[in-house]
Amino acid sequence: MTTLDQPALGEPGGYAPEPDLGTPPVASQADATVTIDGRQVTVPAGTSVMRAAAVAGIDVPKLCATDSLKAFGSCRMCLVEVDGARGTPASCTTPCADGMVVSTQTEQVQRLRRNVMELYLSDHPADCQGCARGSCEMQAMAVTVGAVEARYGNGRDHLAESSYDASNPYFDYDPAACIVCSRCVRACGEVQGTFALTVEGRGFDSRITPGGTDFLSSECVSCGACVQACPTSALQEKSLIELGMPTRVVDTTCAYCGVGCSFRAEVQGTGEDTQVVRMMPAKTGGANEGHSCVKGRFAYGYTNHPDRQLHPMVRDSIDDEWRVVSWEEAVAKAADGFSAIQRDHGVGAIGGISSSRCTNEEVYVVQKMVRAAFGNNNVDTCARVCHSPTGYGLNQTFGTSAGTQDFKSVEQADVVLLIGANPTDAHPVFASRLKRRLRQGAQIVVADPRRIDLVHGPHVEAAAHLPVLPGSNVAFVNAMAHTVVTEGLHDEAFLRERCENVDSYLAFIARPENSPEATEEVTGIPAEQLRAAARLYAEAPNAAIYYGLGVTEHSQGSTMVMGMANLAMITGNIGREGVGVNPLRGQNNVQGSCDMGSFPHELPGYRHISRPEVRAIYEDLWGRTLDPEPGLRIPNMFDSALAGTFRGLYVQGEDIAQSDPNTQHVEAALRSMDLVVVQDLFLNETARFAHVFLPGTSFLEKDGTFTNAERRINRVRPALPPRQGKDEWQITCDIAAAMGFPMPYAGAHEIMDEIAATTPTFAGVSFARLDAEGSMQWPVTDAAPHGTPTMHVGEFVRGKGNLVETVYVPTTERTNRRFPLVLTTGRILSQYNVGAQTRRTANQTWHPEDILEIHPADAHVRGISTGDLVELSSRVGSTTLRAEVSERMPAGVVYTTFHHPVTGANVVTTENSDWATNCPEYKVTAVEVGVANARGLTDAEAAARDEREPAGRS
Amino acid sequence: MGNDIARQLAHLDEEEAVTRIVAHLDRFWDPRMRRTLQALAAAGDDTLDPRLAAAARRL
Amino acid sequence: MSTPTSTPASPEAGPDRSALVRAVAEHHRDQRGPLLPVLHEVLAEFGYVDAADVPVIADVLNLSAAEVHGVVSFYHDVRTTPPPTHVVALCRAEACQAVGAESLYAAAQERAASGEMGDTEVQQVFCLGNCALGPSGTVDGRLLGRLDAARLTELTAGWR
Repeated sequence: MTTLDQPALGEPGGYAPEPDLGTPPVASQADATVTIDGRQVTVPAGTSVMRAAAVAGIDVPKLCATDSLKAFGSCRMCLVEVDGARGTPASCTTPCADGMVVSTQTEQVQRLRRNVMELYLSDHPADCQGCARGSCEMQAMAVTVGAVEARYGNGRDHLAESSYDASNPYFDYDPAACIVCSRCVRACGEVQGTFALTVEGRGFDSRITPGGTDFLSSECVSCGACVQACPTSALQEKSLIELGMPTRVVDTTCAYCGVGCSFRAEVQGTGEDTQVVRMMPAKTGGANEGHSCVKGRFAYGYTNHPDRQLHPMVRDSIDDEWRVVSWEEAVAKAADGFSAIQRDHGVGAIGGISSSRCTNEEVYVVQKMVRAAFGNNNVDTCARVCHSPTGYGLNQTFGTSAGTQDFKSVEQADVVLLIGANPTDAHPVFASRLKRRLRQGAQIVVADPRRIDLVHGPHVEAAAHLPVLPGSNVAFVNAMAHTVVTEGLHDEAFLRERCENVDSYLAFIARPENSPEATEEVTGIPAEQLRAAARLYAEAPNAAIYYGLGVTEHSQGSTMVMGMANLAMITGNIGREGVGVNPLRGQNNVQGSCDMGSFPHELPGYRHISRPEVRAIYEDLWGRTLDPEPGLRIPNMFDSALAGTFRGLYVQGEDIAQSDPNTQHVEAALRSMDLVVVQDLFLNETARFAHVFLPGTSFLEKDGTFTNAERRINRVRPALPPRQGKDEWQITCDIAAAMGFPMPYAGAHEIMDEIAATTPTFAGVSFARLDAEGSMQWPVTDAAPHGTPTMHVGEFVRGKGNLVETVYVPTTERTNRRFPLVLTTGRILSQYNVGAQTRRTANQTWHPEDILEIHPADAHVRGISTGDLVELSSRVGSTTLRAEVSERMPAGVVYTTFHHPVTGANVVTTENSDWATNCPEYKVTAVEVGVANARGLTDAEAAARDEREPAGRS
Repeated sequence: MGNDIARQLAHLDEEEAVTRIVAHLDRFWDPRMRRTLQALAAAGDDTLDPRLAAAARRL
Repeated sequence: MSTPTSTPASPEAGPDRSALVRAVAEHHRDQRGPLLPVLHEVLAEFGYVDAADVPVIADVLNLSAAEVHGVVSFYHDVRTTPPPTHVVALCRAEACQAVGAESLYAAAQERAASGEMGDTEVQQVFCLGNCALGPSGTVDGRLLGRLDAARLTELTAGWR
């Protein structure tokens, strides 16, 4: 392509909106060269005249066009003249043809535009707030076309009868300012895929409405796409109404889920006075391409929440009050305490846990501190409790612990097999991409016990919903593979050329016990339905597997990951666009924290600690001898703590007391330790057991990188300085130094330089290169200097793909007469993980408490109605929450989220875990549910719980 | 935990299963946990899967 | 972010109605452009489309409630309230205007407002294709020409 399709950004340092070329890019092999106002420009054939003009540096006036949406051709502002053509066509809907000569500024089109603008203005308030704020495209356009007066009187117009809608907590809708250009309606449909907006009425009575109700009670999911698309101030962020326009932009990355959306932090002020006006999704972002969800777009207010801790604190016993101290004193207490424990109880008596919320650089220094300063390998990360089976399973089969594709790959998929994931709630921006592909005709098979939104909804109808009973995933995937193989649908050529253990695997999977008929009772899926799904997957030109924690958080999670890899390999669905095995990662930097050597048996880049040549790299650089044996995993740390051999723990940004299973066990372990150091934004549940509290930084204050689920390394840039006065990596380095192992870095970029110098897959990564390229997907090597969007092309990382015999071994967690139901857990859109961030934002509006979903039949026999307070109990504990009778659940299975500490869903989960990685079996717990005695919390109980976790209800 | 590993490999013949259990424990388990397991096996703890016990003796 | 199932039904729309609307929608689901046929059939059955019908139709047709609402609100003929006992529709297009339709329309509205026509709704239409015989209108669906105020009074006598 000879085209330069990206205009220069606005003035560095100043505020400019992201450039808008009017219509989306067109993919075409052929070029068209056109002349616009005397300038020649070459674009892909089929590109609109409007976009070609923008590329040539000529802005054609527009109102209904924006480059995230298909051309609409309704506003009549972008009229141009084309030599040899009649009339004045709209430039947004006119494709470039080779040799075309276009004039955008003839007297005729200028007159037409001015007149059209006057008509708009006649129906627009003269005192519209958008003018005063300077946020309105229409105002700028009126100036551009020279419409200084409106010759048309105010007749019937929108102004008098419109009602202002401030129901959404993050944005307002002022119909008086609306010009009914439909950009919002189209954004909601085309970009977000929710279709919550419509034009009501007809002709002059036309109004934009979220379906005849207000925004909050509508189908709107508050993703912000409509507000972003609005060219007037009809839809406007509340924060911008309050604060006014931003004055500068900091490009950064969202810190919520593993999609890793790129954002422009639009801010005012400098230094400590910096205020974030709004977060705008970046069109240049590789993961999100200009889209966002309610969390990333709006839920950043927790960074300024009054609960945020800004001072280091210490105490001698967990029954004492916290005492605010200097950084020096807090660091010294942590370091001296750790050293003392090691002196008295051995080198291995302490350890650290790194966080998937933190940057690669922050995580890297934690594992470095543990391995070099602590001198052991007792380092683990919260990925242990979510995607450790992904790391194990994909490494065993493909040779690398990561997903195989980029998100864009789904645009080439013909059939998507979605297993144990709920993207519209947990990975909304990927879900929008997926839904767009489904609207283009791709099919989806949903394997999930719950009838999630992707089974059935606006413009979405799954080809099949397979409600796999919790715990039977391996039987399910084996039955899929059995069908493929025994019906001869497998890709023999791919298997022979690219894989090993082929014959033994084919013989294993063809065994009758793996057939859909034999597994029907275990999986709950009728054999014929499963066979149809297997055929659909196997016969698609491109079939892709996407999965989530519904796969990993099982006692056979690792086996299931390998089972899916087998299924992809036998059908040849690996190594090109549109296929693959793709984990949807929970946290923003799960991939990165694993990459950075957070597991006790692996150094950065997934290299086993027992390999002397790998240890030598670090030993030479760090000047310390490394322990060649694996250290303790998180659950092992708890067990060892209770046994008295593990007595000191450094916890970075993870609330293990709330998020880890079997809360009673975890709390007892924490209580038994001599020194617990917690580094976090808030005094979380774990901090109740801590002796040293080190305040952390929010993503808006961090300098570093996150790596998302598609291995994309994105820059995180500080919009404001650390509010508590210290970078988080510096805190870790200070503790290490106080323990006699200085880790001096001039900045986070030097940490990345060390990572790149020591880790082959990161060889080509540096802040400078990331700044230049935007983002890169590892491996970034000499062979792939710009990164690797699709892995295993031509050859697997491990050479041959390894087919593993995945025998189904049922979990030991069984239902019985006392606990006849199975509890499974999940997520909801507005909340995130344990809710530490989202509960401290207006996202509380949508989901103020955890709800137990129960099938009508199960509810009926227990006398439970929607809204009842019910007691949920398992063999390890019980908790109380409100019930919702729901046909989304199959009979025998109940479901809840764990966003709220008051509910304490993990009070009932057991310590059962994945056989290979100890990832907890959150998804299967035998429980009983009954109407609770109390109809609600008493004030005293509520107060006690509020005190326990002071989550604001702001 | 060790029993879970043995259960996953129950379909293999004895020798292969024990070899794989040993490899897994070597690769992923902290040495202290391995020693605890060895002590349990030596003491004849009958809650251990026989193949796990065999693996423990071979560590 | 509300779930469609939680939409409260209006008093007129009981569970029977919801089930019937669902059956109507399912009957047309597989045809091309099913929404208008569904709306027509619901109108034929109940005389109007209730707000509570919208999420049911949307659910069956894989549409959003907002999309269905947009279509319902676009067509004047898709009523959203129960129909009155009688409907008088008068043409106000150019040809009928030229022969006195405006004064007829005003008189009809006045009479309706006075309550002398009972539960009657006076509607405006724009051309019934009966221009040669204007002013035209329909009275409870029957097309009539050469209408005037007196004839209308006569036709609606006893509507109380």
